[in-house]
Amino acid sequence: MIGGGGRADPRGGGAGVRDGADPRGGAGLQGGGTGGRGAPPLPPPLLEVRGLRKHFPVRGGILNRTVARVEAVDDVDLAVRPGEVLGIVGESGCGKSTTARLLMHLIRADAGRVTFDGALVRADDAAGLRELRRQMQMVFQDSYSSLNPRLPIEETIMFGPKVHGVSAEAARERARELFALVGLDPAQFIRRYPHELSGGQRQRVNIARALALEPRLLILDEAVSALDKSVEAQVLNLLLALRRELGLTYIFISHDLDVVQYMSDRVLVMYLGKVVEIGSTADVYERMQHPYTEALLSAMPSMDPDRRIERPPLAGDPPNPINPPPGCRFHTRCRFADDVCRHAEPRLAPAQDAGGGDRRGGEDSEDGAEGRDHLVACHMRAAGSGHGRAPAPVGR
Amino acid sequence: MTTEPALDAKQRAAVDAAQVAVRSRGYWTTVALRIRDDKVTLLCGVVLLLILLSAVFADLIALADPYKASMMQRLKPIGTAGYPLGADEMGRDMLTRLIYGGRLSLFMGISPIVFALAIGGSLGLVAGFLGGRVNMLIMRVMDVFYAFPSVLLAVAISGALGAGIGNAIVSLTLVFIPPITRVTESVTTGVRSLDYVEAARASGAGSLTIIRVHVLSNVLGPVFIYATSLISVSIILASGLSFLGLGTEPPEPEWGLMLNTLRQSIYVNPWVAALPGAMIFLTSLTFNLLSDGLRSAMDVRL
Repeated sequence: MIGGGGRADPRGGGAGVRDGADPRGGAGLQGGGTGGRGAPPLPPPLLEVRGLRKHFPVRGGILNRTVARVEAVDDVDLAVRPGEVLGIVGESGCGKSTTARLLMHLIRADAGRVTFDGALVRADDAAGLRELRRQMQMVFQDSYSSLNPRLPIEETIMFGPKVHGVSAEAARERARELFALVGLDPAQFIRRYPHELSGGQRQRVNIARALALEPRLLILDEAVSALDKSVEAQVLNLLLALRRELGLTYIFISHDLDVVQYMSDRVLVMYLGKVVEIGSTADVYERMQHPYTEALLSAMPSMDPDRRIERPPLAGDPPNPINPPPGCRFHTRCRFADDVCRHAEPRLAPAQDAGGGDRRGGEDSEDGAEGRDHLVACHMRAAGSGHGRAPAPVGR
Repeated sequence: MTTEPALDAKQRAAVDAAQVAVRSRGYWTTVALRIRDDKVTLLCGVVLLLILLSAVFADLIALADPYKASMMQRLKPIGTAGYPLGADEMGRDMLTRLIYGGRLSLFMGISPIVFALAIGGSLGLVAGFLGGRVNMLIMRVMDVFYAFPSVLLAVAISGALGAGIGNAIVSLTLVFIPPITRVTESVTTGVRSLDYVEAARASGAGSLTIIRVHVLSNVLGPVFIYATSLISVSIILASGLSFLGLGTEPPEPEWGLMLNTLRQSIYVNPWVAALPGAMIFLTSLTFNLLSDGLRSAMDVRL
């Protein structure tokens, strides 16, 4: 067995991290809006990200100068609590995978603070990153290209522990346990090469590889998207079982809304590098606040033939992330777009329903946990934003 | 955090069974099996092995002294008693000289590739793995070498350094560094962006470990195959340098040089005069076909 090892020491000081200017101040990332009345205090987040930003330069011309920037991830805030599954959904190219790679520090962020287990992660601290990567692992979408074709899969799984100083025998022992854990018969599989496995088997190997370092947080970047439906279901159930047994926390990235709903406790919706809505799965799927979320969810295929969608909820492709539209990035496709949407960028704030609607309870409810960490970035939901449909500012 | 509770009795049994694991066919076994079924590659391998062995053990198998001239036997045709492949313009036994000639020709053909593989391979690996400015610097320097045709470059460098085997090898090495660097760089760049390299980085491994375990194993194969195909070019170029008097000097037996000295005799005894050329042709052809065969045998995806 691999020893638990020392956890990372809290590394103080914000030096080394370019702290993105945070105009929102302490906007309630962990909810907190309605105070502690009745609701149990939330555990501190395992992973907290503030103002994460990555703009890729587009180079061109003979001098290879930066002619434009792709705003792949722009001021993303998120928090993952221990033991939960945070789903991230959005269309292709909205920055989901970039976010995952930024969290793993596989690419360098332009700005942002990442805090893991209360300790600030510094991008220039090699030992700290190593420890972070031990506690946080990732499963990639392409099960084939994420396994070295020249290594027997056993060696691939042993690689991580060996890098962290585990002896070859102990790593081999650990690999055998992991094979059994992910439902592959060690006797049959350990010496095989990736091309001798099916897609589902390869993805199980990838999960085993990610678990080899006994991480606490697993980032699943479209981990089941390339699998066919029956295998996908098996792997999803494997992931849920592993979470139960090992007490894992997941960030589950997918474009498949059904799968995210099945897997997640909370859901984050991204659009063109921005977070547009975040909340519990029930809040986002049943009491969605952002028109983009609404459009996205109405695109889910329905099993009910009477609930056919007559017209597509969203027309066209998302705008080019090179030179994204000013104001709200969704205004070019939003049917509620107002003047304010074209100029001012909406802030992520606790959802305020425009009166009535299907929102049960609200602030006065005994059920304090309901919706209290449901945040949305839309002028329509922000009192006094200037949007025609925004609720009137009321002194509470 | 432990994974023990996750293993139920059945899985534990499976873990125990794994102690006597069934080994899947290893990579090299697969390659060997494929080559066995590829008759052309097999034949080339055998021919090449014969040429190499005869060059190495020339002292044991050669019948005559490669330097012993005889005015009486000048340009004897193929099949003359005592001269199975005839005699050259000095009356030396052709078979013996062809066997001995293989030593220098193969040495001058293969050693520049080995040196170029070491230097160009490292440069390409560094350029491909690091990317950015380092890549730009290394690859643009290589492009300068690319501006000259390889034969011209080899002749120019050899001419500047002076005749001799050592200088010929240096000039050929310089000629082959750029193409090997370029191929290594492009293969490395392709491998570097694959998810398994990212995953290795995500496991906390350093660059050197990643290169050693994950990059080299996937880069060496294609680069090695490419280098094998360059050996045939190198043998031809080395012979060319000797032909021009920039490599080996007489009376050393070397195929290129022999081709040069026998050139005047082509009207007297064309068959004997063509023999060194035939050896150069045969050797470079087998190297080429062999590298082709290895390429398809070593591709795991097929």
